[in-house]
Amino acid sequence: MKRNTYLRTVVVVGCVCGLLISSGCRKRTPPPANVNPTEIGTGGSILSERPDAEGDRIIGAEVAFVQNVLFGYDSFQITDSEVSKIKAVSDYMKSSGGVRLICEGNCDERGTAEYNMSLGENRALAVRAYLIGLGIDGARIQTKSFGEEKPVELGHDEASWAKNRRVEFALYRK
Amino acid sequence: MTKKYLFLFPALLFLLVPLVNAQVVVSKEGSPKCVLDVSGLQSSGGKSELEFLQTLEDDLKRSGWFNVTKQGKGSYTVQGTCRQGGGALNVRCQVNNVMSGTITMNKAYDGRQAGRLAHNVADDIVWAIKKVKGMASTRIVLVGNRGGKKNIYVCDANGANMFQITHDNVICRFPEWSPDLSKLIYTAYITGYPDVYQINMGSNERKRVSAYPGLNAGASFSPDGSRIALVLSKDGNPDLFVMNSSGGNLVKITRTPYAAESSPSWAPDGDQIVFVSDKGGSPQLYVTGSGGGEAKRITWKGNENVAPDWGPDGRIVYTSRREGKYHICIFDPKNGKTTQLTTDWADYEDPSWAPDSRHVVCSKTVSYHSDLYILDTLGDPSLRLTTIQGEWYSPDWSSK
Repeated sequence: MKRNTYLRTVVVVGCVCGLLISSGCRKRTPPPANVNPTEIGTGGSILSERPDAEGDRIIGAEVAFVQNVLFGYDSFQITDSEVSKIKAVSDYMKSSGGVRLICEGNCDERGTAEYNMSLGENRALAVRAYLIGLGIDGARIQTKSFGEEKPVELGHDEASWAKNRRVEFALYRK
Repeated sequence: MTKKYLFLFPALLFLLVPLVNAQVVVSKEGSPKCVLDVSGLQSSGGKSELEFLQTLEDDLKRSGWFNVTKQGKGSYTVQGTCRQGGGALNVRCQVNNVMSGTITMNKAYDGRQAGRLAHNVADDIVWAIKKVKGMASTRIVLVGNRGGKKNIYVCDANGANMFQITHDNVICRFPEWSPDLSKLIYTAYITGYPDVYQINMGSNERKRVSAYPGLNAGASFSPDGSRIALVLSKDGNPDLFVMNSSGGNLVKITRTPYAAESSPSWAPDGDQIVFVSDKGGSPQLYVTGSGGGEAKRITWKGNENVAPDWGPDGRIVYTSRREGKYHICIFDPKNGKTTQLTTDWADYEDPSWAPDSRHVVCSKTVSYHSDLYILDTLGDPSLRLTTIQGEWYSPDWSSK
């Protein structure tokens, strides 16, 4: 009887621990339901020549609506608040057939550089997958990770970090 | 009612104890040393002679194996001469075992660079007395950020002879030596994209070895130099790949559509690769076959275990986030034990083993300023490697 109670305790405590551990985990982004994850890819080189043909980059009023997609710490989950930013770019690309896009993934300074390089790429890929899910041809979208190397804010606080955990939209006309 | 649940408390404690202890041994004791007397080394006081003697003495101290004295007594004595002549330095060096009265080493050297010559002599003395590889004549490749300009540099194991290898002033990371030191491999944004480049140290020629769409990063040579492990995202997700050192015969090692891999490092026999994956929900170390196969997770404590380097004696050094700080830890696959090397209030990252299997070079960040330090796994104080103004990181220690 006593032994039984102990066993039950172990099970209960084990479950609680399990819950605590799993709630601490980073959330992963599944791609949109209509996109096969094995067919996402990085999009190949959408620009005919490297380095970036900066002259082809679309700047100014035409793309003033573009906003960076922001992420949580150590996450590449696209949150509800960011969806409208991706939709705005999708609408623009649908109305401007010749426009191509590089999703540039970035991280805050925390974490090691090598891991952040991969995390930044995953952020860019998550946005790319979302755009494909919205009907944009994947051949028009490429990804690039800067890891933690290209912060927009140089502060060492959460306000700066939050702005640095981002995907930037670099739009090109060729 | 309350009483009924009191028994839960000891049960909880009982369950938490193994989590807290989790096989971490913090080493604090200094290392045992033998007394080495160098007062028997003679010179005529020339500039490069004195440089040689000073460098040799520093190298012997840095090796960690000796208490170096000039008191005229020790368990070993070094005797010999150091003469400058005809633009070269001629050195004769004899090591005596005082207890047994035998000659441990007797060798002649000549060379033009006093520092390099001293490094070679120091490593020979370490080998003669301790029968372990020395580190004095080895080199370290690293990234320097000086005034926003990021480039690859190489320096000696004592931080001297800092030499700038690249002049691109673009983002560059993760330089690594080829096993024979004839090449460097690293990631750089020369075209604006993260591609992998190889530099031939003899001819100074550079070639791009991996420029797939997306990420090309973290390249690492196999111990025989014939293959490269690296991370590519060309299939829609950062995964681990292995290719020939010339860039062909690409083999995909991991297939994790929802997770990111990074930081591959080869086992000394070349059969296995340790790497980072966040497929379990947080970045952790995994080991897999270098030809593919199932990946086995090897780190369980802490929510971030990254940047592994598989050392020549089989131990894996890596970065672990503990109590909000990044620390250097060592995992020994032979017994499954983890040792935490750093305990102070700084962030230590990107460790790389010295060929002596004793020292580790890593970056140490305090107040957002990063320098390289050499840590001693046997407990001696750490040594600062970089003293030139700038941010220094991503070190890789040469294998010889």
